[in-house]
Amino acid sequence: MRLTTRTARVAAMALAGAFAVTGLAACSTSDDGGSAADGEPVEIDFWGWVPGLEDLVAQWNDENPDIQVSFHRMTGDDGQKVEAAVDAGAGPDLVQLSTHNLPDYVIAGRVQDITEYVADDESNYTASSWASVSFDGQVYGVPQGIGPAATMYRTDILDEYGIEMPTTWDEYVDAARELHEANPDVYIANMSPSEIGQWSQEIQQAESSWYGIDGDSWTVGVNDAGSQLVAERWQTLLDEGLVTTEQVWTPEYWALVNNGTIATVTYAAWFPSLLAENAADTSGLWAIAPMPKNAGSDNSGDSGGAAVVVLAGAENPGAAAEFASWLNGSDDTQEALITVGGLFPSTINGLASDALLTESEFYGGQVINEVFIESAEQTPATWVDGPNYGTAQTAITDEFAKVVNGDLTFLEALDNAQAITVADLEDRGLNVSE
Amino acid sequence: MTAVTARPTASRRRFTGAGKPWVPYLFVAPFVLLFLVFLVSPIIVAVWNSLFSQQSSGLGFGGTTTAFVGLDNFARALSDQDFLVSFGRVALYGLVQVPVMMFIAATLALLFDSALVRGRRFFQFAAFLPYAVPGVIAALLWGFLYQPSVSPLIQALSSIGVDANLLAPGTVLWSIANVSIWSYTGINMIIMFAALQAIPREIYEAARIDGASDLRIAVGIKLPMIAPAVLLTTLSSIIGTLQLFNEPQVLKNVTANISSDYTPNMAIYAASTLGKDPNLASAMAVILGVATLIVSVVVLRLNNRTTKRASDGL
Repeated sequence: MRLTTRTARVAAMALAGAFAVTGLAACSTSDDGGSAADGEPVEIDFWGWVPGLEDLVAQWNDENPDIQVSFHRMTGDDGQKVEAAVDAGAGPDLVQLSTHNLPDYVIAGRVQDITEYVADDESNYTASSWASVSFDGQVYGVPQGIGPAATMYRTDILDEYGIEMPTTWDEYVDAARELHEANPDVYIANMSPSEIGQWSQEIQQAESSWYGIDGDSWTVGVNDAGSQLVAERWQTLLDEGLVTTEQVWTPEYWALVNNGTIATVTYAAWFPSLLAENAADTSGLWAIAPMPKNAGSDNSGDSGGAAVVVLAGAENPGAAAEFASWLNGSDDTQEALITVGGLFPSTINGLASDALLTESEFYGGQVINEVFIESAEQTPATWVDGPNYGTAQTAITDEFAKVVNGDLTFLEALDNAQAITVADLEDRGLNVSE
Repeated sequence: MTAVTARPTASRRRFTGAGKPWVPYLFVAPFVLLFLVFLVSPIIVAVWNSLFSQQSSGLGFGGTTTAFVGLDNFARALSDQDFLVSFGRVALYGLVQVPVMMFIAATLALLFDSALVRGRRFFQFAAFLPYAVPGVIAALLWGFLYQPSVSPLIQALSSIGVDANLLAPGTVLWSIANVSIWSYTGINMIIMFAALQAIPREIYEAARIDGASDLRIAVGIKLPMIAPAVLLTTLSSIIGTLQLFNEPQVLKNVTANISSDYTPNMAIYAASTLGKDPNLASAMAVILGVATLIVSVVVLRLNNRTTKRASDGL
């Protein structure tokens, strides 16, 4: 199994390289400005935020005198800056992007279709990450990192009250009741109305999606069956007073985590290191288990990842795609991306890397990534990002705030958010099928 | 003294006599230029943008076209319930926050102007200091004080049996108002205090001879005489209220009870940045601008009438 993917990947790399060369050749013959023919190297501008990219770019530049990449560090997903730069014709050739925003870039024509250069990389990527960069059969980026979910839990608290870490959501609700009954100051989880990633990972687990494509129309599923399943679960936990409702990332939240008010946190693979940082005093008390499952399913969830995309202004999309393909998929880069970059890989060779399998003291010596690797393998490739992710996200979080105040139910909130999202797409002239 | 006053007169005469009518324009040019570039042209651009819309078709992957839609964006903005509610919210906020702040600022200014306060310079500085703290930092700071587990304030209250939730849906607006009052009372106090200092002392002497108490002087003489300063600060506070953004946007990070369209400015930000609809946001910004203009004109009218009445009364 491993051998075949590896072989396929090498073949894919060779093919991608060949495509890139033909792309370059085409460029240099049709354009009088084609620099490759003059012996001048092709220059690629790349903006990104992952730590350690400077070293990887330097390595590439040493090995590839024909394609020289210059790197500019962003502080994070500088959404508006990149959009403005591209629209003003001053954007880089390559940029790192949250995949949730990719459809907007495609619709606004800010990214190039790079299917011909990278299509053969597909076998080296997880199905869900590849789906996140593909629209309508075309590929618009190379995935870079994903966020498979798992549950971090306080072993000391669960042990104290004789509760096993639940493996299904039904068990989880029971455990929530048991725990809160045993100690009214302890809650099994925090339901933050604004932490959209914690919501969407469970939507994905339920094989639902906020968006979908049906022929020539978008579908909007903010309140679809899977979302309703998740909504009913959290409504129960909320109605029975079994969860706290603080905003994640606030001092208040970390105080509740540190003092043992919150017993479990279900979130993406990048969360454990932040938990260790913000709750250092609880070191050794945590462990990580697979996120609870829905009845009759092994699915796990993912809150989204990033991709490297070729922007509209790039004159040499082939060369840019070749670099992106190497950066995210090469055997040479996986360890650095994992250890220095802190990425959870979206690549098959990355997931097989030993760099992932280190023991973590904070989690009692557990090799925590084994859980996340399994989660990545169990994530269904059903999630589709759509236009105006921002509008759907804002609508949902604003409505959820009313839910935790008791003014609405989750189901009503989802119906409202659905209506807002559909209206927004229709206002833009997009086809929406109900 | 005479030499100093004579000089400007002489030079003014020299200018008009020199026959270079373009010179004054040269001097106002930097202002006019910056005014046109940074105020007038953005307004024109916003009005222009508000008349268009980015339209796609099908799945949208064919790209977008810009279509003229007339006043559609204005209709959309005005039919957005939450946007209208945000105006009502800042109006309610302004009705409470501005008078409270003005009352505190005026009281402090009168106290500092009286002989009652010892260590006046220190307290004046202390009252002014929060203004030197940038609005975002002030909101971050108070954000900590509003969170029960990390707030000495709430812990102190709960130790005397008061359970305060300063971030609840019903209280969060006043928690924001508190940050603004803390930040801006000082500057308003200074402006009023400066106006008080300009009042000739003889008037107080005359009042005292007539048997007026300090309180009577403060309410009957000082306040009416600094009415223009009070109304100026009130006007800028009202405009500040309509533009409310920093404090709620920062506090939004610690509570979900501040929605993304909590104030008109936040709604505009949400439409442009989160919703990626700059055309709709332009229309909303124009509506907010017009609303601010109307409120300003009304307040200025009241101001003129009140100052006229005050000066008539004297």
